[in-house]
Amino acid sequence: MRVVIAEDSVLLREGLTRLLTDRGHDVVAGVGDGDALVKTITDLAAQGELPDVVVADVRMPPTHTDEGVRAAVLLRKQHPGLGVLVLSQYVEEQYATELLAGSSRGVGYLLKDRVAEVREFVDAVVRVAQGGTALDPEVVAQLLGRSRKQDVLAGLTPREREVLGLMAEGRTNSAVARQLVVSDGAVEKHVSNIFLKLGLSPSDGDHRRVLAVLTYLNS
Amino acid sequence: MTARIITSEPEAVDRPPAPRFAFDRHTWKEIVYLLTNLPVTLLGFVYVVTTLSIGVGLAVTVIGLPVLAAGLLGARLLGRAERARARGLLGLRVEEPSPLPRASVDGWFGRLWSGLKDPVGWRTMLYSFIRLPWGVLTFTVTLVGLFVLWPVLPFVVRGLANADRAMARALLSPSDELERRIAELESDRGVVVDTAAADLRRIERDLHDGAQARLVNLAMGLGLAKEKLLEDPDAAAVMVDEAHGEVKLALQELRDLARGIHPAVLTDRGLDAALSSVATRCTVPVKVTADLPERPAEAIEGIAYFTVSELLQNVSKHSGARSASVDVWRSADRLLIQVRDDGRGGASLDKGTGMSGLADRLGAVDGLFVVDSPAGGPTTVTAELPWRDRA
Amino acid sequence: MTTPTQHGQGYGYRDAVAGERRRRLPAGLRAPVEARTFREFGYLLLSLPLSIMTFVYAVTMVSLGAGLLITFLGIPVLAAALAGARGFAAMERSRARALLGLDVGSPGPLRARGHGPMAWTVALLKSGESWRNLLYGILHFPWAVFAFNVALVFWTVGWTLLTYPLWQWVFPMYTGQGGIQLYGDGAHDIYLDNPFEITVTAVVGLLITMAAPWVIRALTWVDRLLVSGLLGPSRLGARVVELESDRGVVVDTAAADLRRIERDLHDGAQARLVSLAMDLGVAKEKLAEDPREAARMVDEAHGEVKTALQELRDLARGIHPAVLTDRGLDAALSSVASRCTVPVQVDVDLPARPAPAIEGIAYFTVCELLQNVSKHSRATRATVDVWRVENRLMLQVADNGVGGADAAAGSGLAGLAGRLDAVDGILLVDSPSAGPTRVTAELPWRRA
Repeated sequence: MRVVIAEDSVLLREGLTRLLTDRGHDVVAGVGDGDALVKTITDLAAQGELPDVVVADVRMPPTHTDEGVRAAVLLRKQHPGLGVLVLSQYVEEQYATELLAGSSRGVGYLLKDRVAEVREFVDAVVRVAQGGTALDPEVVAQLLGRSRKQDVLAGLTPREREVLGLMAEGRTNSAVARQLVVSDGAVEKHVSNIFLKLGLSPSDGDHRRVLAVLTYLNS
Repeated sequence: MTARIITSEPEAVDRPPAPRFAFDRHTWKEIVYLLTNLPVTLLGFVYVVTTLSIGVGLAVTVIGLPVLAAGLLGARLLGRAERARARGLLGLRVEEPSPLPRASVDGWFGRLWSGLKDPVGWRTMLYSFIRLPWGVLTFTVTLVGLFVLWPVLPFVVRGLANADRAMARALLSPSDELERRIAELESDRGVVVDTAAADLRRIERDLHDGAQARLVNLAMGLGLAKEKLLEDPDAAAVMVDEAHGEVKLALQELRDLARGIHPAVLTDRGLDAALSSVATRCTVPVKVTADLPERPAEAIEGIAYFTVSELLQNVSKHSGARSASVDVWRSADRLLIQVRDDGRGGASLDKGTGMSGLADRLGAVDGLFVVDSPAGGPTTVTAELPWRDRA
Repeated sequence: MTTPTQHGQGYGYRDAVAGERRRRLPAGLRAPVEARTFREFGYLLLSLPLSIMTFVYAVTMVSLGAGLLITFLGIPVLAAALAGARGFAAMERSRARALLGLDVGSPGPLRARGHGPMAWTVALLKSGESWRNLLYGILHFPWAVFAFNVALVFWTVGWTLLTYPLWQWVFPMYTGQGGIQLYGDGAHDIYLDNPFEITVTAVVGLLITMAAPWVIRALTWVDRLLVSGLLGPSRLGARVVELESDRGVVVDTAAADLRRIERDLHDGAQARLVSLAMDLGVAKEKLAEDPREAARMVDEAHGEVKTALQELRDLARGIHPAVLTDRGLDAALSSVASRCTVPVQVDVDLPARPAPAIEGIAYFTVCELLQNVSKHSRATRATVDVWRVENRLMLQVADNGVGGADAAAGSGLAGLAGRLDAVDGILLVDSPSAGPTRVTAELPWRRA
């Protein structure tokens, strides 16, 4: 897997590089701000060497506000096949909405804290590179809390809510099953119940399922 | 804003040098002033008496009021001329009063009314009214003195001119202090609110770029180490070692940040201890003397602390000094701070320097900030804060 | 800050208690013997001697000062006159407070530029308040004479006539006439001497006695006007006092904020990092001898780091949420709302972004109000609305909870009101005891 990292703190940039290299991934470039990121990707794409995934910090020079999010939105528009994982010290549902606008394909938005769980973090990077979704549990909680469909959501059992949350994070059925320590079949049953209660038509494939859930929560 | 800005040269224009047994430029100017007093005050007196008697006399008919209002407007002009004469010949700087305020009620009558109650006009009237005998006196004394009191005339002239200065300052200066004070306080409050908000944003940013980034890296390192611990103990040992170093750095960063926010020792022990601690971190030996009978209000203490700590930073960075001293004491209802160094001087309050930022911050709480720093040194910076007792 | 002047606030409580006892008597009958009437009557009686003193003082000093003006000596005399007038004014204010229950704030102390008698003279001559006090000294006298006479006449005539039946016997016994002579021209005399006339006299006396309190009240009404108009602080003076206190509040709040942040850092992240450093130190030593124990310690340290990060993030959000700087109120408030335990609907309708300081205050106000909703209201729904009206930024947080919130001293809402007040903002709480609660805040709009 080929990765480009955009992070203004040299310390973290090197840490991430080491982490990913250690796992056998190829860090093609490391940059320190949003403009450099867009330029690097454009150059790489011109050479026909578009990376699989970009890992970008939100707050970078020169304005130290939301460069990362803006660059990510731009890159996703220019290169639909490119996975973008945005990291931040804090997660805001507003940024998630902006990132997810249009499609949840190949998008990730995680708290920086999640790098502490090395395996899960690398899994998330890989998932995004392969076109999957990785949303931070905090974002999902905010989405659930803010949703205007509270009455419907209140109809879910606690376990179903849990499954819904994990699904919205972008996890596959088997990942959800592993997390909750239940069988794949049990998860399947919960998922179809959830879709029934929310009034969504069951769809195949994890990506489309995540999209359906997120669209539902955001509407 | 009351931050008085004094560089190496004191207010030369306002205060002429002490009189001597000689006739210098100042004495001659004062003599001219005192001699011109007679015609000028005569003119003023006649003007005031005429307008007042016509205005008041005709006030019964409606025509008197506009006459009076016009007379007051004329008095304003008279006042301006008198201020100019005092400025040119006595070197007295009296601020111009604000122009006549716009009438709160529109229309002809509103304008008339606001003209009639113009305090500046009335005070100038008063000034012109009482000055005639004084003008006669100064004219006579100065003229006679020119012929018979030649040796001591500079002293006599100075005395008379000082009385003139006092009169002009009392009656020709602006009287809209309350309005000015309100404008000043409103801007002060704005400055305080904005600085506080900016402070918070800066702290948040420092946290984000410093401790938080370091901790994320640390968490990542530990995560890796944890996984390796059993498979590759040697690599894991290196990582744990690194992580240990990181923690210590993160702690150091947090400590510095916390000190920059509000040093705990200031809360616990007060200015003396906190300033001594700042002094030990200065690159120059600093002698701290804090002589306070009790502790001031927390906010004042905080401002005093940050003022000294910024001044000492300047001493370290720019002054080239070999030693410095910090004195803090209380005088009546003011807290005084003085930071001195034997460096090369030349510090200024120009816009954009750290000093001007300090002056603004102090000004916003009715403080004063005086920099005396001739080129070649030494530099003395004195700051004055209002004393408030601890709640 | 607009503190309405409350008339009669001083003894409103005592009156209420007295009223409880005399509830049986209607107000009209109660008035002549009410403590309030006596106090007001006393005020009017005292006015005469006092106003003679002030009048003589004021007229003498002013004419002396004005006469001497031509020699410049008049200036200090006038200043002395004004200083005296300020003294009288202070006395009159406290008299009005004690007897009329009229609470007029005292104007701030004289603001002299510098020290010494010259500065004081200048300050006195320039202070409009002192001149108004002097004017009071002159104007009050004719009014006091009038009010004194009217009040005294009404009072004495009323009581005299009312008690006429009791002392009518004096006339036949000592003066040889039947009673009070109503009319007499030598040829024709009318005396109030038969029982009918005596009764009518007493009734007339009763009517006058009943009217006297209202006459007295009307007279003191003019006194109230004079006192509050001429002895109170000027509008500008009051604004200066208010702004000075505002500035103090703002400075103190800022300092307190910084101390709180420092303490949070110290108690939270710093403490956690110290224990983390220790864990790692131990783990390092154990690594060779006891790898299993070391692994446990590293695991613990790992947990500590994650908690420390979480704490720092919460702290940073409490200091200043980055999303507020980046995206403004709408995004920041939605984010707060999504963390609230109660479903909150946020509606922000602003044409532009206000100044960062105002935005920050608005944000933290809503945060605190939503926290109240979560903690105390037991609401199931809440709404946040933000909009702009001319040059004001308006916030409204409403919930369908139990109500009963009030901004009394010591509550969180009072603290919030104080903070808003210090920047010329307003906090209005409408929370009847069964709910719903609606809190509206208003801030001055400043452009970014």
